[in-house]
Amino acid sequence: MNASSPIASSPIWPESPAVQVAQPSGLVRSQHPSPGATVAEHSPVTPRPIRARTPKRGQPDREPGLKRANFGREAGLPTLLLLPQLLILVCFFFIPSLRALMQSVLLSDPFGSNVQFVWFDNFKALFASGEYRQSIVTTIWFTVTQNVITLAVAVVLAFASDRVVRGRSVYRTLILLPYAIAPAIAGILWAFLFNPVVGPLAHMLHALGISWDPNRNPNDALWLVIMAASWKHICYDYIFLAVGLLAVPASLMEAAAVDGAGPIRRFFLIALPMLGPTVFFLAVMNFIYGFFETFAIIDAVTHGGPAGATNILVYKVYVDGFINLDLGSSAAQSVLLMTFALICTLLQFRYFDHKVNYGV
Amino acid sequence: MKKTAFMAVLLGVLALAAPAQAARVEVQWWHAMSGVLGDRLNELVEKFNASQDKYTVVAVAKGNYDEVTNGVIAAYRAKRPPEMVQIAERGYLTMLLSGAIVPVQDLLDQKGYKIDWPDFIKPVASFWSYKGRMSAMPFNSSTPIFWYNKEHFRKAGFDKPADTWQELEAQLYAIKAKGVSECGTVLPGDFYWSLLENYSAINNQPYGTLANGFGGLGTEFVYNKTKVVSQVARLKKWLDDGVLQIAGQGLSPEQLFTSGRCSTFVNSTASHGNIERNAKIEWSATFLPHENDINPPLNSTIGGGAIWVMKGHTPERYDAVAAFLDFVAQPETQVWWHGVTGYVPATSKAYALARERGYYKEHPTREIAVLQLSRGTPNDNSRGFRFGNFVQTMLAQRSEVEAVFTGQKQPQQAMDDAVKRGNEILRQFEKLNAGKDAEAGREPK
Amino acid sequence: MVERAPVLDTICHAILIAGALLVCVPLYFAFVAGSLTIAEVQKVPLPWLPGGQFVANLQAAWAKADFSRTFLNSIVVAVGITAGKIAVSLLSAFAITYFRFRYRMLAFWLIFMSLMLPIEVRIVPTFEAVANAALPLQWLADMLHVADLWKWISGHDVTITLEWNMVNTYPGLILPLIASATATFLFRQFFLTVPDELCEAARLDGASPLRFFWSILLPLSVSNIIALAIILFLFGWNQYLWPLLFTTDKDMATAVIALKNLIPRSDSEPAWNIAMSGALLTMLPPTLVILLLQRWFLKGLIDSSK
Repeated sequence: MNASSPIASSPIWPESPAVQVAQPSGLVRSQHPSPGATVAEHSPVTPRPIRARTPKRGQPDREPGLKRANFGREAGLPTLLLLPQLLILVCFFFIPSLRALMQSVLLSDPFGSNVQFVWFDNFKALFASGEYRQSIVTTIWFTVTQNVITLAVAVVLAFASDRVVRGRSVYRTLILLPYAIAPAIAGILWAFLFNPVVGPLAHMLHALGISWDPNRNPNDALWLVIMAASWKHICYDYIFLAVGLLAVPASLMEAAAVDGAGPIRRFFLIALPMLGPTVFFLAVMNFIYGFFETFAIIDAVTHGGPAGATNILVYKVYVDGFINLDLGSSAAQSVLLMTFALICTLLQFRYFDHKVNYGV
Repeated sequence: MKKTAFMAVLLGVLALAAPAQAARVEVQWWHAMSGVLGDRLNELVEKFNASQDKYTVVAVAKGNYDEVTNGVIAAYRAKRPPEMVQIAERGYLTMLLSGAIVPVQDLLDQKGYKIDWPDFIKPVASFWSYKGRMSAMPFNSSTPIFWYNKEHFRKAGFDKPADTWQELEAQLYAIKAKGVSECGTVLPGDFYWSLLENYSAINNQPYGTLANGFGGLGTEFVYNKTKVVSQVARLKKWLDDGVLQIAGQGLSPEQLFTSGRCSTFVNSTASHGNIERNAKIEWSATFLPHENDINPPLNSTIGGGAIWVMKGHTPERYDAVAAFLDFVAQPETQVWWHGVTGYVPATSKAYALARERGYYKEHPTREIAVLQLSRGTPNDNSRGFRFGNFVQTMLAQRSEVEAVFTGQKQPQQAMDDAVKRGNEILRQFEKLNAGKDAEAGREPK
Repeated sequence: MVERAPVLDTICHAILIAGALLVCVPLYFAFVAGSLTIAEVQKVPLPWLPGGQFVANLQAAWAKADFSRTFLNSIVVAVGITAGKIAVSLLSAFAITYFRFRYRMLAFWLIFMSLMLPIEVRIVPTFEAVANAALPLQWLADMLHVADLWKWISGHDVTITLEWNMVNTYPGLILPLIASATATFLFRQFFLTVPDELCEAARLDGASPLRFFWSILLPLSVSNIIALAIILFLFGWNQYLWPLLFTTDKDMATAVIALKNLIPRSDSEPAWNIAMSGALLTMLPPTLVILLLQRWFLKGLIDSSK
């Protein structure tokens, strides 16, 4: 969820239901046998019926997200424990964010020597701008397509690597490789390979009779950044799905096999539905990735062109802020994006707190 | 964690309290030169540092021009600007009206350096000066020239590229038709500079009102009513016919020329360093073409960058800055820089010195830029371009031109839209800087 | 429980090989380009087979990008981000899940507001904040009239200017990238799944909260910590815009920034061979981390299901 850096590649370890729950369950089972904690209850792929009968929420004395067994009302120690994080957040997050908020209602020169308060002019100008509307449409198309491709390929790869025995770790390592590559570098590689003049892969496309030219065809350009962004992100979805598949109870699959369901049927009828929460989570993460973290790829592959065809919102924030030096407009766009991100955060919380509470 | 942070604060304060005991005053210079040019710039700085023992200039490559600009803005707002920064020509008005700079002529006067300001060649001096005084030290001034592959032209039966766009078009189509090369020419990355702005200057077309902005911030773009429209249409036609190629990301346009794939290339004279070093082809260069109904063509205009001095430093540091800028302005330095990079010599003395030494006999193409810049009598259409938010208006324009290339818009429609978007941006700049009208800019000391 | 299905297995292998190819083709061409001379790399189209300059180009890239220095910086930054973020997050996650203090929900929301907000949208103000991180302290000093107090005590007239300039320092590169709640969220979610019985037992034994944290919670979190460490290391190593803006001193540049300076631009030598060699070098440490620690990355998970 490395929302804190669209540039840097790495999606941070997210709050995947798969990992957070599956992992401890293994440990719990092996080291700290605890009454009542069955593997199934702690599994990421807890079948829905189990979730449905979890009446623990809403106990009168419970605050959300607090352990039932806690250390009570002490205030000194938790304050000390929280202090480093809060200090860092205040200095490097809240103060800067507030300033961005202030900047969004100002018209100012980049050096800050000339500042005028303009109310909501920056926002009004944005909504009146055809360019901004085009950017919204492009962003939606880009993130949705990237999301679908990434998930679909990752599901197929996860299924395949779950099937095979020989060479599995080699495959897995190779598929994970793009994770190690900075988006900026990934973007440069893709730009180079699909360059219509010199790119070896572009030459292959030409040889196949496909008229490939991302410099002159907006669709080609959009597909190119979608492919590059997906390429960089498939490994992320893949690893969660692969891990999730490992956690599908073998007994269920065996039962289905006894009933005569083939591997593919089993996958779609049992494994995939059980991975539902993981898939939902990955979809959210893919949106976040597409919205915020693809900046470096766009920058390296197309510069948002041609004619704005790949100018997604976060890239526009960057261009307006850092190249056009239109700080007010850039800040206004940031504020809109921040609002969107906050909504995503809230949605995530609603979903996962709902999900997690039952098992606690 | 908290403790460490606190200690760090203390250390920071202590470090600040201890006076720097370094014998030499150190100043920073952020720049945007990379590759061969970056190497040369470092050599220049080393020369200066070795030439005296009081000052050290530290050259810091901060990426491309945009990144340097961003870096200096962020640093200035955080009250940590470098002493000197190299900014591209497009940022002139932004820097001038920023209130963040010290005009170089004021600084050098104040520090008692006698620079022969009138000696700077006209197109350079008029671009970088304001009310007759230099605001920034001209450093890397260039202008686009026309590079070509001699062998390709010979094979196609031509001596050299024609002077006019019309004849040139015939030549390029012939080269393509005869199969001499795959493409006649390649679209430069900064085509808006060479093929639209300089094109307007050379062909005596107005780009904006009020003498292209030299007359005040109220200027408006007018290039949708000039030959620029047909120029865009020409480029589109060449693209469709495969005579013009776009290099695209992952490939520098120059590569298509130096590898012998494309026969010609419009690019800055500053490519000399690279082309001499890398091109394995038989190349030469000449003047940019002009329209056949425009004769004589006017001068082209400069691009490149200048060194700005930032506000907010101690007098000792400004001593160092002044010494360095004086060094940069010396004819010897100018001639050397001109020779190793291909940028134009900024002063007449340097130009004369280079001539005197027979430099242009050995390197005839190095003189083209100077001659092209100083050709004819500059008028309002050819003196240069002084628009606020010029990067932003340029990007809007580029995007509209791309819409022509992709076939989404007709040239006239695209240029109308570009002018409309550009003028909105200009009005924003005017609104912001109201009262700092371009003719009254610098506040009295 | 894998039954025999040879056709399906073959298809699976084919899919995986295709996937692996998809990953490897771009990298292969980076390698090819990195093994050519500058003249060869400018050929159109690029050769499909590597040339003989690989080692020479690696050396050139290493020297040109000053990787011996920039790699060190990247390691410090990446490790600093990893260690810092994990430490800070563990503590705060512990605080908000295991204590029931009055402003708990406030702290919770303060922390989790930062969950999904990228640093890019606030990078200029962040730069100002980090260029003088003591700014809040300065306000505090002004508010508390420390200067007047000092004058009253010592009789000297002073102005207090607190400055903590972090430009070109490791803390400056590291701290702003720690300022997000992602890791805290992970640990919180994990702690919520830890059986309550463990805490109850610890309390019955009279263990202090910190004792419980150190000897029970921390060991339980090891797999999470390692997995997170891998991800944070890669995140730190691959940082781009922040170090680019924030380092003005060549000696403080990170490897990715040094690499960026190797990438040819329009007015520089098209030395793609050097740039690609540099790209391969820069990818190396994160790749090694993935290769060597992948087992750890997956260990807990695999144990739990097979």
